Amino acid sequence: MFAYVVRRLLQLIPTFFGATLLAFLVIQLAPGDFVTRLELDPTQTRESIANLRQQLGLDQPLPVQYAKWLSGILQGYLGLSLSYKTDVWNVIGQRILNSMVLVVLATLMIYLIAIPIGVYSAIRKYTWPDRTFTVLAFLGLAIPNFFFGLIMLFLAVWLNDLTNMRILPIGGMTTEFIHLGNLTRAAQILFPFALLGTLVFAGLFWQRSRRGQAATFGIWVGLVLFGMSTLLMLAPLIQGPGLPERLPYTESPLWARATNVLWHAFPVVIVVGTSGLAGLMRVMRGQMLDVLSQDYIRTARAKGLNERVVIYKHALRNAVIPFIAGIGGLLPGLIGGAGLVEVTMAWPGITPALLEAISAIDIYVIMGLITITTVLLMIGNVVSDLLLAWVDPRIRYS
Amino acid sequence: MKKLLILGMLALAGLALAQPKVFKGTEPGRAGGAYRITAISDPRTWNPFVARETSSTDIISLFLPTLTGYSPYTQAPEGNLAKSWEVRNNGLTVIFRLREGARWSDGQAIDADDVIFSATVHADQRVNSNARSSFILDGQPIRWTKVDQYTVRADFPKPYAPALIQGWYIAPEHIFGPAYRAGVQQLQALWNLDTPPAQVVSGGPFKLDSYVKGERVVLVRNPNYWGVDDRNNPVAYLERYTVQVVPDLNAQLARFLAGEADTFAAANADQVAQVLERIRGNRLRAEIFPNADVTLGTNFIVFNWNHKDPFKESLFRQVKFRRAMAHLMDKKSMIEVALGGLGQPQWSPISIPNKAFFTDDVVKYEFSPQKAAQLLAELGFRSKNRDGWLVNAQGKVLEFNLVTNQGNNVRERIAQIFRDEARKIGVKVEYRPIDFNELVRQLTSPAADGTRDFDAILIGLTGGIEPAFSRNVWELNGPLHMWNLGIGGKNPAKVEAFEVLIDTLMKRGATTLDQAQRRQIYVQFQKVVAENLPIIYTVAPAYNPARLTRLGGMFPKEQINSITGQAPYIETVFAKE
Repeated sequence: MFAYVVRRLLQLIPTFFGATLLAFLVIQLAPGDFVTRLELDPTQTRESIANLRQQLGLDQPLPVQYAKWLSGILQGYLGLSLSYKTDVWNVIGQRILNSMVLVVLATLMIYLIAIPIGVYSAIRKYTWPDRTFTVLAFLGLAIPNFFFGLIMLFLAVWLNDLTNMRILPIGGMTTEFIHLGNLTRAAQILFPFALLGTLVFAGLFWQRSRRGQAATFGIWVGLVLFGMSTLLMLAPLIQGPGLPERLPYTESPLWARATNVLWHAFPVVIVVGTSGLAGLMRVMRGQMLDVLSQDYIRTARAKGLNERVVIYKHALRNAVIPFIAGIGGLLPGLIGGAGLVEVTMAWPGITPALLEAISAIDIYVIMGLITITTVLLMIGNVVSDLLLAWVDPRIRYS
Repeated sequence: MKKLLILGMLALAGLALAQPKVFKGTEPGRAGGAYRITAISDPRTWNPFVARETSSTDIISLFLPTLTGYSPYTQAPEGNLAKSWEVRNNGLTVIFRLREGARWSDGQAIDADDVIFSATVHADQRVNSNARSSFILDGQPIRWTKVDQYTVRADFPKPYAPALIQGWYIAPEHIFGPAYRAGVQQLQALWNLDTPPAQVVSGGPFKLDSYVKGERVVLVRNPNYWGVDDRNNPVAYLERYTVQVVPDLNAQLARFLAGEADTFAAANADQVAQVLERIRGNRLRAEIFPNADVTLGTNFIVFNWNHKDPFKESLFRQVKFRRAMAHLMDKKSMIEVALGGLGQPQWSPISIPNKAFFTDDVVKYEFSPQKAAQLLAELGFRSKNRDGWLVNAQGKVLEFNLVTNQGNNVRERIAQIFRDEARKIGVKVEYRPIDFNELVRQLTSPAADGTRDFDAILIGLTGGIEPAFSRNVWELNGPLHMWNLGIGGKNPAKVEAFEVLIDTLMKRGATTLDQAQRRQIYVQFQKVVAENLPIIYTVAPAYNPARLTRLGGMFPKEQINSITGQAPYIETVFAKE
C-alpha cells in the first residue's frame, strides 16, 4: 500500500508539467495578448504599446515565458497579474475562499438531501412521491444554473416587495452595513420554515415507524434546521451590549459577518445545489435499486432481518460506494467554483475572476487558477482511490 | 461669545487663505447621505500611473485632482485644481495658477511640486502611464516647469487646442516621489489594491474608506477638499460613496429595482420597460429617461483599401461603391432590432452628444436599395448571374466578407441586417463573427508588403469629447487610419485627395485655439467624411439613465447628456432623505 502511494505521488510530477505546458500553449494559441485591446484606443501610440509589451515580458519567446513562469511556480510564486500588477495569489486567494463557501454548503446540502430521497425513492419506487421526486429531478437538471440564478434574483425582489422586508438578498456576498438588531427579524422569518421542516420530517417518521421503517435521518435534518433557527433567534442576545444597531461590514463582529455571508449564500446555494442534487438523487435511487435486487439482500430478508437493518446496514453501505469515490472530485470542484451562477448573482468567486482574466488575457491569473485546479484534481484522484480501497473490500492495491 | 468670535475670525481667515472652487449645482443641497452605484468589475489599482481601465479611473477620479476639465454645462474648459490660466506666446505657453491653500487629506499642501512631479512621471517612458500621450505633441515633448509654489507653466512645441484640457491625475509628490527616485518598479508597486485604504491620500471630493475584493469600494467625504457650493458651504455634500461590484447587467438591474442602487443606465428597451413597470406599480420611487441621449461609442463598417486582391482594392476605393453600401444601411431596422427601438442613426464621425462640435448638416445616404443598385450599375455591376449575384462585364461576382467581434450582440445584429439588405439586391456578403483580438490584428497589422487580409469589418471606437484626441484615426500616418493603413506609422502608399484634406483639417483643428474657428474646421471635417465615407457609420445606442428620486442635485431631463451623465458634479449630488 505504501509503495502504491509513493508511486502515485511520483506519477503526479510529469502529469503536472504536461498539464501546465498544455494549458500555457492553449492560452497562447488564442489570438492577441493582454495589450491587444489597447491598439484600438485612439489615444495610444505605437511606441507606448510596444513599450508596454516589453515591460510585461510579452515580447519574449514562448519557451522563455513558460520557463520563467515555471521557475516561479517551483518557488511557490504564481506570477504577476498583468492587470492588477500584483501577485496572482492576491488576486485569486480570497476568491477561492469565497467560492469554497458556496461549494461546501452546496455539497452538504446535496448529500444531506439526495441520499435520503434516493433511498426513499428506491424503496418505494413508482409510488407518487417517487414520481414527484423524479419530475423535480428532471426539472432541476433541465434548468441551466445561470438562468435559475436570474429567476432567483427576481424571486427575491418579488418576495421582498410582497413582505416589505429584506427576506432574501439581491445578489452579492455581504451587505455594506449589517443591521445587528434585524437579526431578530431574520430569525422570525426563518423560524416558520424550520418549524415546517420539523413537522414534515416528524410526519415522515411517524408514518414510517408505523410501518416499521426507519427515518432517523430525516429527524436529524429536522432537528438541525430547528436548532439552527433557534440559534439565530438567540444570536442578538449574544451580541455585546455596546454594539450599535448598524455597523459597516468590515467593522462588525465575526458572528455577524458569518451570518451575513450565510444569509447571502442561501439562495445561491439552492441554485448551485439543485442540479447536483437532482443528478445525485437519481444515481442514488439507481444504486439502491441495483443493490436491493441482489441475492444477499434477499437472503437477509429471508433470514427475517428487520427491514431497517436490511436497508441501512446491508443495502445502503454498498450502494453508497460510488459516492465515496466521488469525494476526490470534490476538491477541484471546490476550486472550480460554482460557475456562472457566481456571475449572475454577483458572488465574488472564481468564475467572475476567471472570465475577467480570460477576456483581458491576463495569462498568469488564468495559469494560476489552472495550476491550482490541476494540483487539487491530482490529489483528489489519489485520495478517492485510497478511500475506495478503504471502503470496498474487493479493491486491494499492493 | 469671545470664543465664537475667534472661531469666526479663524474661519474667515481660512476662507481668505484657501481659494476654493465653486461648484454650481442644480439645486441647493444639504450635507449627509450616501450614494450607491454598481460597477461591472473590480478596480485594478489605485495608482494613477498604472491605471488603464475605467473600472480603476472612475474611482481614482473621485480622490485625485486634475488641473482642468470640461464644464458639465457648457463643455468648455474649466479649472479644477487650476483656478485660472493665461495663454501667452500665441498659444505656445499656458500658465496655470493653482488654488492656494488646497490640501491633501493628510494635511500636506497641494502645490506646483505635486503638479510638476506628476507631469514628469506621466511623461516618463519607463512608467508608461496611460496619460503619456498628453505630454507629446507630434513627437516633441511638452515641457512643464514650476514658476513658483502655486504657478506652473506648460510650453508647447506648437499651439495645441486641447492645451486647456489637462485631465491627467495629480498624485502627491510626498508619497510617490521617494518611490520614483528609488526606481520605476517601486513607483508602480505603490497604491495597489492591497494597500490599506487609509494610506491612499486624497486630493479630491472623497477618500478611500474600505475595499472588499469582488464586493465593494467605499469612499467617504474628504474634509480637506477645496470645493464649496455657491452658498460657500463645503462640498461634497455626500458622506459616503459606495461602488458595488455586480458583474452581470441583469443583476445590476435587479439591484436598482430593489432600491439598493441609486442610479442605473438601462441597456435596452426591455430593461426600460421593467423599470417603468415598477415605477408605475408604485413599488419604486424612481425616474427613468429613455433615449435621453445617445452614448459616445460608435459602430461603423470599414473597408480594406490595402487588399491583396487588386479587384477588391480598387472596388473598395471607389466612393460610389461606399455610397452604395451606405444606401444599404437600414438604420431604422437597426435601431428597432439591434437596439430595441432606442437609439439614433449616425452619419458622421463626431458623436452626437458632443454638442460643441457636432453638426447634423452633412450628406446623408439614406436607406434606398434602388439608389444602391443604380450606383453599383454605374460601377459596371449591371447583370446577375445564375445564383442571383451581381456580376460585372468580366463576370466577377460582387462579394465580400464582413466580420465583427463575437459576443457583441448589437454589432452582430447590425451586421446581419446589413448583409440581408445587401443580398436582396444581389451583393454577396458573407458575415461571420470572430474573436475580438483576431479582429484587431487583421485591422491593425499589415503584412510586409502593406496588405491586410480582411474585406470589411464592423467595429466601433469609444468616442471622446475632444476631436483632436482622435488624430490617430484621421491623420494619414495614424496607427488607426484603419481603412488605408501605412506600414509602421508611415503614410499609406496610395492616398485619396479627400484623405489629405481630412489630414490637413485634423492638424488645423488641433492647433487652432479659437473656439468658433475650431467648430468650423470640425464641421467641414464631418462633411468631408460623411461625403466620402472612409468609415460608414451605422447607429448609436441610446443612453437611458434612471435614478431614485431620493437623489438631489441631478440634471433635469433636458440637460442629461451621456458625456457628463445625470448630474453636473458629484460634489453637488445629495440625498433628499
